[in-house]
Amino acid sequence: MSESAIITTQDLNLWYGGKHALQSVSMHIPKNRVTALIGPSGCGKSTLLRCFNRLNDLIDHVKITGEITLDDENIHDRKTDVVSLRKRVGMVFQKPNPFPKSIYDNIAFGPRVHGVRNKTDLDRIVEESLKRAALWDEVKDRLHDPALALSGGQQQRLCIARTLAVEPEVILMDEPCSALDPIATAKIENLIDMLKEDYTVIIVTHNMQQAARVSDYTGFMYLGKLIECGKTVQIFEHPKEELTENYITGRFG
Amino acid sequence: MADKFHTELEALKKETLEMAKLGRQMLRTAVDALVQQDSALAESVVAQKDEIHRMEVALEEHCYQLIALNQPMARDMRVIACSLKVITASHRIGRYGKVIAKIVQEISDKPHIANLMSIPHMAELVMDMVDDAVKAYETDNLRFIANFSARDDTIDALRHSIFREGITYMMEDPKTITRCTHYIMVARYLERCADHACKIAENVQYMETGERVEIH
Repeated sequence: MSESAIITTQDLNLWYGGKHALQSVSMHIPKNRVTALIGPSGCGKSTLLRCFNRLNDLIDHVKITGEITLDDENIHDRKTDVVSLRKRVGMVFQKPNPFPKSIYDNIAFGPRVHGVRNKTDLDRIVEESLKRAALWDEVKDRLHDPALALSGGQQQRLCIARTLAVEPEVILMDEPCSALDPIATAKIENLIDMLKEDYTVIIVTHNMQQAARVSDYTGFMYLGKLIECGKTVQIFEHPKEELTENYITGRFG
Repeated sequence: MADKFHTELEALKKETLEMAKLGRQMLRTAVDALVQQDSALAESVVAQKDEIHRMEVALEEHCYQLIALNQPMARDMRVIACSLKVITASHRIGRYGKVIAKIVQEISDKPHIANLMSIPHMAELVMDMVDDAVKAYETDNLRFIANFSARDDTIDALRHSIFREGITYMMEDPKTITRCTHYIMVARYLERCADHACKIAENVQYMETGERVEIH
């Protein structure tokens, strides 16, 4: 992979108790690109995604070996502050999960946690984040309405805006469209395409057509191993590995 | 659903092979009619043009539906892409058969000049190329198309030879102009059929390996 990498994993292994969930995963995530992780259920793609901002730390009996670097810094280093790591590497989940607060307070939540108190600054961050998440025009006149009153697609874009508000470098998305209808999905996909100008996006998806549409690079995982990783057009037009070929042509999985 | 799609893909390949056989048979019959100066046989080829056109439309439609409904990827996508090219090439080969058959109807009342020069030999070589290209598509075996570049060079050389020979006869005797001009055209059509066989071969290579090659 010739493009400069923002995240690199080297011989990454993860065990949930006795289950060896990630097996010697080595890969580069190119900066300002969208990388999709695909594979059948239980292959480890969400586990890998959660490694990038150490969300797996929250699970008991997890053991990790190997190295993950973010801009050449080992994220498992003792000096690494996990809160600041998760600010740099944000996450959007499968199901939209806005806080039971107003639209404004959802976006302002992260910046407030990180010490922004000035109302003018918060107003600017809320507006910019909502604009970047392509939601501003739909909510600008009702910023103090409850976020839970928004539609599912709007809630998901709100969650993306909430992630953007703390100015991350990398955005992790775990099946961000699986709870959405096709129109809301198309909006999120367009948004992902726009976001890569300023951010690096890593997306886990079951939907291979979605991976093909939105990503620049695709990694195929199977039984905890990264089988093949390359440019999306190569993976979907002529994959090198027979396992990849069989999976994306629906012969298993 | 994937099983259903793969069954349909197999069916598409079988239907495409049927069409390839029809295109090849139209060319074969037209060349036979030319050699035997058989207008009735030539007429049977002309009558098949609607059938091959109908097959082309139906098969292309089948491909488009498979793409629209299944969003194929990797080899599945390449099989459909290759099939679309085989469909087009087979249609063109059949149409060249029809055009040669029309020529037969125009010149079958007069004896051949120089036993049709090298046309029968050239036609056999072209027919073999078409057969091998289609066999490669049918069996997924690149061995059949391994030396297509050299075979295509031979066909080009034969066309050039027929062109020069035809010009020579025409200069010697203007009464041969009509027939020789038609021979030159037939040689040109045969050469185009070999080019279509090469196109099929290029696409079978893509179907099998994902790599683009150019055969000329």
